[in-house]
Amino acid sequence: MTRKSIGVIGLLALVALMLSTAFASSASAAPAWKFNGKALEGEETILGAAENSGLTMWGFTTSCENFLYEVKIKNEAGTGKGNIVSLPLFNCYTNSTCTVEAIEAEAFPWPSELKTISSSNYLIVKNVNVWVLYGGWFCPLWGVWTHVTGTAGGLIDNATETATFSSSSFSATGTELKSLGESVEWNGKFPTEAFQWHRGESISAS
Amino acid sequence: MAQRRIDQRLLAGPAKRTGAGVILALVLAALALSGCGGGSDDSSNPTTTAADAAGGPGSGSSSSAPDAKAQGSGGKDSTSGSKSRGGGGSSPDGSSGPQGRGSSQGQKHASKVHVPEGAPEPGITPKQREEATVASMLLESPAATASPGGPPSLPGAYTCDGKGSPPPLRWRGVPQGTEELVLFTMNVQPIEGKLFFDWAVAGLSPDLTEIQEGRLPRGSIVGLNSFGQAGYRVCPASGAETYMFAVYALPRKLSPAAGFDPTQLRKEVLDASGNVGLLALSYARGQ
Repeated sequence: MTRKSIGVIGLLALVALMLSTAFASSASAAPAWKFNGKALEGEETILGAAENSGLTMWGFTTSCENFLYEVKIKNEAGTGKGNIVSLPLFNCYTNSTCTVEAIEAEAFPWPSELKTISSSNYLIVKNVNVWVLYGGWFCPLWGVWTHVTGTAGGLIDNATETATFSSSSFSATGTELKSLGESVEWNGKFPTEAFQWHRGESISAS
Repeated sequence: MAQRRIDQRLLAGPAKRTGAGVILALVLAALALSGCGGGSDDSSNPTTTAADAAGGPGSGSSSSAPDAKAQGSGGKDSTSGSKSRGGGGSSPDGSSGPQGRGSSQGQKHASKVHVPEGAPEPGITPKQREEATVASMLLESPAATASPGGPPSLPGAYTCDGKGSPPPLRWRGVPQGTEELVLFTMNVQPIEGKLFFDWAVAGLSPDLTEIQEGRLPRGSIVGLNSFGQAGYRVCPASGAETYMFAVYALPRKLSPAAGFDPTQLRKEVLDASGNVGLLALSYARGQ
């Protein structure tokens, strides 16, 4: 083998290495927040509101007709991040004899980030912290103040601009909510939209 | 919009005239640059909150939550949202921001977020906090088996379909100063509109950390269950039932008489407040 051919092979190997590095980095890139297809610059406030979202624990489901959430989002090093800063809950009830005397999401902000798992994009919400006080004389949890904590993973659908939390999204993301030792299931579909600079623009994670 | 189209044409013209080498160089440069950041500069951002954006304070809510009423101006009716929210890349206060300029192209669409009417659920008040029984103890049963998508299962051996003895239970986290532990087992769903007791045991020592299968420690006081028996009985009429096992830690002794009424004792337990450990177990007949 001539010196020249060795040089060409070396050059080709170098190019191949560069290309593979470029492709590898793009394949593993974390999703970013985008508006009308353009990556978000700076920070934006988004709102999400689920209708009839529920927490299932202790053998019954605590539902709220509306979960409203407010998230400050931004992209950090190309990855979508965010902080949930409020989560007011409206018109809550259970499918048992228990009433909801008080319910409160607290200890904000709850940090969140976008993650791609098996080609699907998820919103991972950490430090979830919700207290529920149950009432009702015939409720086995009457007067009991329960605490739900953990991490929640919701599937993002760019077409409908929603994040859906379900047992399958929890399973896919390896996330879990708990109340003491009890697993809590959270179901809810949250339409999401920008509320600050990008109002009315289509939001996506990719 | 017209200005943007003109800009695009101006950009498109030279691109057609450039050679393949230049395009390749530009592509490579773009590839190289794409890996160089995208970090955000928060200092350049406005700090307007969603509540401000929705119309400012005066929501009637004490939380930092977005104001439902204020947002209502954008419309509970989602179809009206486009009118109030069509900011065209402007900041909520009407001034043009850096993000707005950078992303003002593209179509707008109507609001999809259904903003509820009325005030959110109240948070717990200091009085409720003081009176509540806090679920802070961990209660578990080594006999329970995992059941995907629901509470763990109570094996049939611990029901009327088996030998019917109580399952083993263990707990931890009994707070200091506890004088007595009281255990209830109740159906989560009511029977004939009433809370149904399957087991009620008082007089348990605060030092106790477990009850072995079918064996109650000395000093235990057993009440009547809703079957009218002094003892444990789990026997669903049909289908699946969920049972709540609850161990209450009480700061004072109640020490009821044997064969006590569980409904009455439960009222006293809740009045005494304290802490509780909870365990929900399900059982389905014929499975």
